[in-house]
Amino acid sequence: MKLHYNICPRNCYDTCSIVSTTRNGVLISVEGNPLHEYTSGKLCPKALDDVKKVYSPQRIRYPMRQRGRYSGFWERISWDDALDQIAKKILGLKEQYGTSLPLALNKYSGNFGILHNAMEGLLTGIGATTRAVGSPCWSAGVDAQTLDFGSFFCSDPLDMAKAKLIWLWGVNPAWTAVHQMPIIFDAIDHGARVVCFDTHFSATAARAHQYIQVHPGTDGLLALGFAKVLLKESLIDPNLQSYTLGHKEFIHYLETEISLERCSEVTGVPITTIRELAVEYGQTHPACIWAGFGLQRYTNGGQTLRAIDALGALAGHLGEQGGGVQYAQFETWRFSGAIQNPSHPINSSSKANQTSINSLTLNPQKTDRCLNINQFSEEALVCTDPPVKMLWISGRNPLSQDGNLQQWKKLINQLDLVVVNDLFHTKSSEAADLFLPVTTHYEHWDLNAGYWHYWVGVNEPAILPVGEARSDLQIAWDVSSRLNTLAPGSCTFPTSGNEKETLLRELSPKMLELLGLEKPEDILKGPIRAKFPRTSWKNRTFATPSGRYEFFSTQAANAHLAPLPIFVPPLAPSTNTPLRLLTPHHYSTINSQVYTLDTNKTQYVLHLSPELAQRYCLVSGDRAQIWNELGVLNVIIEPEFGFSTDVVVIFQEQFDANSPLNCLLGTPSTDMGHLFLGARGFALNETFVNLKKL
Amino acid sequence: MAKQLGFVLDANCCLGCGACVKACQNHHQLAPSVSWRQIRKVEKLSNNHVQKFYLSTACNHCGNPECLRVCPSGAYAKRRDGIVLHRSEKCTGCKSCVASCPFGAPQFDPTNKASKCQLCYDRLDLGMPPVCVQACLTGALVLKELDNISENQLLRLTAPRPSLRLTRPSVFYKLPRATKLSNPNQIMD
Repeated sequence: MKLHYNICPRNCYDTCSIVSTTRNGVLISVEGNPLHEYTSGKLCPKALDDVKKVYSPQRIRYPMRQRGRYSGFWERISWDDALDQIAKKILGLKEQYGTSLPLALNKYSGNFGILHNAMEGLLTGIGATTRAVGSPCWSAGVDAQTLDFGSFFCSDPLDMAKAKLIWLWGVNPAWTAVHQMPIIFDAIDHGARVVCFDTHFSATAARAHQYIQVHPGTDGLLALGFAKVLLKESLIDPNLQSYTLGHKEFIHYLETEISLERCSEVTGVPITTIRELAVEYGQTHPACIWAGFGLQRYTNGGQTLRAIDALGALAGHLGEQGGGVQYAQFETWRFSGAIQNPSHPINSSSKANQTSINSLTLNPQKTDRCLNINQFSEEALVCTDPPVKMLWISGRNPLSQDGNLQQWKKLINQLDLVVVNDLFHTKSSEAADLFLPVTTHYEHWDLNAGYWHYWVGVNEPAILPVGEARSDLQIAWDVSSRLNTLAPGSCTFPTSGNEKETLLRELSPKMLELLGLEKPEDILKGPIRAKFPRTSWKNRTFATPSGRYEFFSTQAANAHLAPLPIFVPPLAPSTNTPLRLLTPHHYSTINSQVYTLDTNKTQYVLHLSPELAQRYCLVSGDRAQIWNELGVLNVIIEPEFGFSTDVVVIFQEQFDANSPLNCLLGTPSTDMGHLFLGARGFALNETFVNLKKL
Repeated sequence: MAKQLGFVLDANCCLGCGACVKACQNHHQLAPSVSWRQIRKVEKLSNNHVQKFYLSTACNHCGNPECLRVCPSGAYAKRRDGIVLHRSEKCTGCKSCVASCPFGAPQFDPTNKASKCQLCYDRLDLGMPPVCVQACLTGALVLKELDNISENQLLRLTAPRPSLRLTRPSVFYKLPRATKLSNPNQIMD
């Protein structure tokens, strides 16, 4: 029996440290690492199924070619054959168009390991290419917090245990960040009160002292309403003058533009509750707000986060131990980016001080053609000089997750070659020509950082690759090798290498300093926590241009955004589509990632309030249909306590259904995301549908 | 010395996440149709409050086990630490226990025999906790020697029919506090 250290590479708050056990080269069990203070020896139910997932009979073990897209007629081919087809297509396109721009990459967080950025590196090595930029997840909030604080940072999640009041705002850790729950319970045991704000009564709300139901997309106004009460009750921090910018302008805005009556009417929260909660928030120190990602998936998402930040600042909770406004962070992602920049080998002396958060934001080269990841198909279709002709999908499943499926289908039709790297067949591979089987994190080296906690660590392989699976890095080396064999000098990405050495090169001097390590090899001993103090912005020196917390942001004004956090209403339903559809994460999965292989659910479950169900003459178990101008979806009705009458909810569970959930999604954009992440975010929660009984 | 081991669940901390269920299924390599541990959702609404919680339950290792009483082939035994053992080598698959357990603990396996939670006695004998307890992320589920716990604020889980309280299930739970609703009209509608 052997033990190995792995890191769960999913796009999840927890980024767990895993101890895996092998016997005779076979993975037999996985457990949480007890030496990792956040994982604390425990794993979520998703990761507990990893052994089954690694050896799943449904996993694709060999390169495959599909004879006719969507035909499902896949045949096994050799890696040689697959690499040949890919390399020849790339070289052919380059010759035909005189540029490699017809080659497009659509990659995101299927595996957040740093070595997976080899895909970007490969394309950079080929030349200028077309890239998906931005993030489908958190963009508006990242921009908002960066405008306010100057950089994207949060406290160590263990700091929350010190809070006396915790507001869980639009976040459902009982399902999506389970390791935070013991920390919250610890705070409760020490006398903290927990209030949960959400659009529906979540599993987290059920564990809170109080639940506040907020009309979707109006959280920003609620924050401004609270701020107004703080002002009236003289509960604002008397020291604002010394560390913030523009608090007078903000107060003027509150005085002239915000009325509690309207706030209550729009948000659905009674005035008395707004007053009570605001006073408690103003009087309790430390008080922590955890703002979730769902909050900002609206057309006003950035403003919502800015308003919540401003509320925290006004009450003097920023920099307070156990307080603050927590969202997520980039600061532990300062890797060298060597893997993405093959033509510019890392020069440690010149890049040492450069803030390279490339590894997370995936900033492409200047010459690349950048398309918003959330409007990829639309933007790719209007590219004509040259058109997009080859698409490589890696760590993503856009045909199951992106909006505007019609445009996606149209884009697929114009492509000469679609390549998918994945573990299992997906909605996206249905449209692919080639399927390249990749390794799981138990089969390759990698380097991972959390975006919530401060831990960074190495993922070591526990077993040999299953079947003929190869890591993304190996695939990138192999493609580069084939390109250079067919046309010497056609790709500057390395043609071979060592995974372990490649990951060590990602530990820039800056990163070593953050981790308190002398040399890169030291990280091989086990995961390590970056040496930041537990409380973010503790000395109240901010990274903004003014060095202060910015209620008033000139950077925002320069980007044609309101300089102050303001309330902009979310989109409103129309008479044809009167119900807002929310599609939050389920505890059993993250987006379309495969966890439960033995799912027998074939129909989406539509959760709604009993009153709304009654209005449509529906009872539990009824078959119904939701639709809008983009698509139609059959659902099973489940009336449930805790939903308001203007929303219907489908949790993203794994369904073996023919029609994908995203057939109802358009591509509405958030107000921010383009300032620091390169593209606006996905205002996913601005989706409206109609409902009828079948 | 005879004692009685049993599960104690703090419903304030149970997230209903199912890590205990998965850990049990994986460790014991149960068939997909079998689950020795289950999560039940309980929801109670009152004026301005809602009490919504989860009960993670398995075999209750009763003080007076009905399964043991009805089994015609003597497949059940009670250990001195209180664990109710099912010995599959003696099981004939007659389903008497499946039908008689008031908590539905024994399940009929694809192997045509009954099976149920054995409280990971092999692990306990090595000084390790049951896998469900080990997996619980919040420490909501623990194993205790029931004779030694103070029953203050703890409720005994009872079967729906009063007559079946006679089995004396060895399980306790701590009732969760309720969540206050601030806009109940809107939510309760």
